[in-house]
Amino acid sequence: MANVQRQPDVRALPKKEFRSIFWRSFSLLGSFNFERMEGLGFLYAMLPSLKRIYRDDEAGLKNAMSRHLETFNMTVAPSPLVMGTAVAMEEKAKADPTFDTTAISAVKVSLMGPLSGIGDTFFWGIFRILAVSLAIGFAQQGSVLGPIVLLVVFNIPNFLTRWYSLKFGYSQGQGIMRSMGSANTMQLFTYCAGIVGAMAMGSMTAFWVPITSPLKFTISKNHIVIQDYLDQIFPALLPIAFTLGVLWLLKKRLPVMGVIGIVIAGGFLLGALGIIAGAAE
Amino acid sequence: MSLMQAILIGLVAALTFFDGSWFGEMKFREPIVTGFLVGLILGDVSHGLMIGATLQLMWMGVTGVGAAPKIDIGVGGTIGAAAALTTGGSAADATLFAVPVAVLMQLVHTLMMSGFSAFMPWAERKIERGDLRGVVGIHYLCGLIALLVFSVPTALGMHYGTGGIKTVVNGIPGWVQHGLTGIAALLPALGFAMLLDVIMTRKLIPFLILGFVPAAFVGHDLTLVGIAAIAIAIALIVFSLYTDLQNRQSPVPATGAPVPAMANGATSNSDNEWED
Repeated sequence: MANVQRQPDVRALPKKEFRSIFWRSFSLLGSFNFERMEGLGFLYAMLPSLKRIYRDDEAGLKNAMSRHLETFNMTVAPSPLVMGTAVAMEEKAKADPTFDTTAISAVKVSLMGPLSGIGDTFFWGIFRILAVSLAIGFAQQGSVLGPIVLLVVFNIPNFLTRWYSLKFGYSQGQGIMRSMGSANTMQLFTYCAGIVGAMAMGSMTAFWVPITSPLKFTISKNHIVIQDYLDQIFPALLPIAFTLGVLWLLKKRLPVMGVIGIVIAGGFLLGALGIIAGAAE
Repeated sequence: MSLMQAILIGLVAALTFFDGSWFGEMKFREPIVTGFLVGLILGDVSHGLMIGATLQLMWMGVTGVGAAPKIDIGVGGTIGAAAALTTGGSAADATLFAVPVAVLMQLVHTLMMSGFSAFMPWAERKIERGDLRGVVGIHYLCGLIALLVFSVPTALGMHYGTGGIKTVVNGIPGWVQHGLTGIAALLPALGFAMLLDVIMTRKLIPFLILGFVPAAFVGHDLTLVGIAAIAIAIALIVFSLYTDLQNRQSPVPATGAPVPAMANGATSNSDNEWED
């Protein structure tokens, strides 16, 4: 590369800031809502770092805060990895005015899917089952060891994962940012992060937007289940149709509050009329 | 049940919610834990634990994966154990109360999380005004509301008799429940649409399709990890292709030369990307 930038040594986050993000990461779901999901919780965890990075740049701070209020949703235990990476990227964004900040959103989106997949497998699949199966015998005998064993067995990996994933995420983020020397490479990196982000969004829409239709008709003794027909045309048609429909409303530059109102009123109406329902359990 | 015991059980119910929201899913909501705490409050630890174990086995498969609403095993387990311990003590009695409460409380979750959605534009406005404390305050406010929503009705229900709980559960009209389910189903579409609004550009549309189609057709046999692995492979291919192309075009890369065909794809976040 022609323009090798001044390469700072790999730094660790300031101790106080590291601990702050670590503890705040526990409240990621604290203001969970169906719209931004863990967005505000993520911003809350990022805030100590954002305040440091943008201490002399009010407009930059506001933009960064809006950026991290965006929709975020993942299994909570490995979430500090994303926070660490995001902090490293924000540092780069502050240092380099040509940095395209959509890369930060794209990286967050592309991390949350796979990390959730791995995290769900380990924390819901393995650690929870392990903790419960070790504890249940004690509990059946009325022994206090039951809850103690359950909490200890589950939380050792829970705490370790948070601590080390935050460390890893930050150093990894710094590494990526350092190798992005030129503006060209940065643009290309943003685009490639966008590829992973877009594919993750596509699959998450199919997996996590739980819209189905419970509509059924009986026409001359033929039972017609609408959802079966929809599945034959295209599975997950309703999730993607509604998501793109809302996206279309947003692109119309309607006020966000108005779009939310439409979604809530529409959801209640369609639900009450029995046209849409959640995922079939 | 004394008022003090009812309040403490209300706090256990709130703890099971805070487990997932503020305490990083440390698993205080598991019935073995709530059975122990309720037993401690009502003075019968070993029975509380046994009831907890029964409920635990019943709800082993209930997980919190994804955005779809499930049932609330935390409050369900708490009230189930408390009801069984006060009325006579068999684990079967516990399930009788625990199951409808777990279903009802999931509706409460749905309502609350729909309600919290309305705070998000408020947070946005506070950011615009530079009110940092206000933004953090909204996060805390959600916690305070949750504390009240989960502890107060539980404590009242416990104090005034478990019969009241059943009446409430059975009293909600079906169409209201369906309406709330409809809202809960649609709101994730809103969240994902807002995210797409930020990251999507015209050039990324093919990749949205590439991610969606396998997930839709194969379903959960193909996990997000699998799709992400494919996505990373594609991104690496694109990355190396463009890098080769760049090197061929300008052996000495000049700063500022745009990547071919990428300049308006990756960097533009203007809205007309979609509308032209």
